[in-house]
Amino acid sequence: MALYAAAGPQAQAPPLPNRPNSLKFAAIGDNGTGDTPQYEVGAQMAKLHASFPFDLVIMLGDNMYGGQSPSDYVKKFERPYAPLLAAGVKFQASIGNHDQPAQVSYNLYNMNGQRYYSYARNNVRFFALDSNRMDPKQVEWLEAGLKSATEDWKICYFHHPLYSNAERHGAAVDLRVKIEPLFVKYGVNVVFSGHDHVYERLKPQKGIYYFVSGSGGQLRKGNMGSSEQTAASYDRDQSFMAVEVAGNQMFFQTITRTGATVDAGEINRQTRTSE
Amino acid sequence: MSNPPVSSPRRGALPRLSQFALDHLLLLPLGAAIALAWVNFSAESYYTFTYRISFAVNDVAMVFFFALMTKEVVEATAPGGELHSWRRVLLPVVAAVGATTVSALVYVWAVNRLEEPMLVVGWPVALSTDIGVSYLVARLIFRRHSSAIPFLLLLAIASDVLGFIMLAVFDQVGDAHVVAGSIVVGVAILLAYGLRRAGVKTFWLYLIGPGAVSWWGLFWSGMHPALALVPIMPFLPHGRRDPGFLVDAQPTAHDALSQFEIWWRYPAHVTLFFFGLVNAGVPLHALEPGTWGMLIAALVGKPLGVLLAAGAAVAVGLHLPRHVGWRELFVIGLTAAIGFSIGLFMTTALLTVGQLRSETSMGVLLTLVAAPLAFIAAKLLRVGRFAPAASAR
Repeated sequence: MALYAAAGPQAQAPPLPNRPNSLKFAAIGDNGTGDTPQYEVGAQMAKLHASFPFDLVIMLGDNMYGGQSPSDYVKKFERPYAPLLAAGVKFQASIGNHDQPAQVSYNLYNMNGQRYYSYARNNVRFFALDSNRMDPKQVEWLEAGLKSATEDWKICYFHHPLYSNAERHGAAVDLRVKIEPLFVKYGVNVVFSGHDHVYERLKPQKGIYYFVSGSGGQLRKGNMGSSEQTAASYDRDQSFMAVEVAGNQMFFQTITRTGATVDAGEINRQTRTSE
Repeated sequence: MSNPPVSSPRRGALPRLSQFALDHLLLLPLGAAIALAWVNFSAESYYTFTYRISFAVNDVAMVFFFALMTKEVVEATAPGGELHSWRRVLLPVVAAVGATTVSALVYVWAVNRLEEPMLVVGWPVALSTDIGVSYLVARLIFRRHSSAIPFLLLLAIASDVLGFIMLAVFDQVGDAHVVAGSIVVGVAILLAYGLRRAGVKTFWLYLIGPGAVSWWGLFWSGMHPALALVPIMPFLPHGRRDPGFLVDAQPTAHDALSQFEIWWRYPAHVTLFFFGLVNAGVPLHALEPGTWGMLIAALVGKPLGVLLAAGAAVAVGLHLPRHVGWRELFVIGLTAAIGFSIGLFMTTALLTVGQLRSETSMGVLLTLVAAPLAFIAAKLLRVGRFAPAASAR
């Protein structure tokens, strides 16, 4: 892995390669507050989109806080991301503990009524999971999906982080013991989660790269604890992630609501013994 | 237990309970305490170990715990039983409907208010009452022959029956073949009825025949198989006299129910320890909205529900039991707020692995605070043993 920044705002962020035909996407978590910081993050995403034309946003849960009436969907989702929606960017949501179950049927979240689902983009297979209820059916479905996936990259995302060193919630170890063996067995490359309202990049755990990006609207300032597991973290401002997958490389950049880059780097696709 | 009933008021302050009841009160908390310590020191090893044994404990071994609890209820409500001749059965059942309804509503309101709507699915947990612990607390607060004790028992039993019905209806874990599974359970009940009609007196045939069929039927239906013996136990022949609620069967008792208890009480003790170990391990950072929602539902919803339902019942012509007034009802409602073992069982059955289960389990564990609160309320309201001598009840 090559790193451009360990942590902390950088005035001049190294741009993502922005290669033609690469998969470009953004990741936001814990975003749906309807408050000014969410709108400012949305504006930064739109600004980035002008130069880095991503066409996918993965949502890491807690897509909406408080009321979830039709007007809340406008205030807490459609308006903050209006430029992206107008540009045809597709949002693919997973659900968190603050989300109403009915969100799975909201058209613009593209969940098609499913709590968990899978889709492929370019050479990447995504698995959006429901970490609120990891029932045996979902685990069976996940195993079957991971086993049959033929894409080069397998990326899972869901709300509760398997690894996190934020002090408020921390790692969902019970969930980790349940599903991480599948991730390892079937060669998951990268995992994105939210829940803790900070940004954290973990050192590879059992060969898998984990990111916590739970400050797309919420923020818990100063909540990061210290741990040797942490590769980089940022808990001073709201942020989102921009990601580019090109062949066997994945580039990422973490950008705050003021446009500062607080982390960036490159991941080479892990070689599995079975490959 | 073969000891005679305690008659002196002084000795009566410490109720005599069966070994089963005492172990329930000791081994389960011991398992829970070890689980809490273990998960907070080494979470990964705790979950790795408990996931391996959870099916054996929760879905198989717990069958015998619920069978023994059912046995107590069957004996207590049969002719000669402690609750059989108790004439005002309707009021505690009405109170149970009130307590469970209000606590469920309070729970749903609370988790929505606390902005964690995903927790709503856990509402049946708010119905649960730990019969053993709440009975002990009631025995310590009220005098031995107080009408408040059978009232509390019936309230607790009815609440749990309602909870189990809701669990059967709303438990969505596993592949649901509800109709086919229910037919299989119906066949098991018919088999048990046939054995009873044929005069079969050994519990083993009820266990390996109808019991096994019932377990399979529940498992297949998607409902919880730990309840497999609940519909079978009433068909086991029982003695003419009930030794008392949560009082051990006499070693010389030869009826099938007593023999069942004598055989299975020790495996049930071990099960309770492991049940606490497997299900009570929640990280301390799980003090989240689900925790507070469950606690508020129990501590506010149960007493409020009892008072509202009893008030409505009295308004339409039912009578409160002798020496049980509104103050006693409040204390009874608070005592019934203790969810503990049944609450943990319901949580495990309803919520899958993850934060929602941890939050709810923590709330269930904290409902134990209802025990000291019931004592404080009894003292402040001068209820039960705290009543002035002239009006002692």
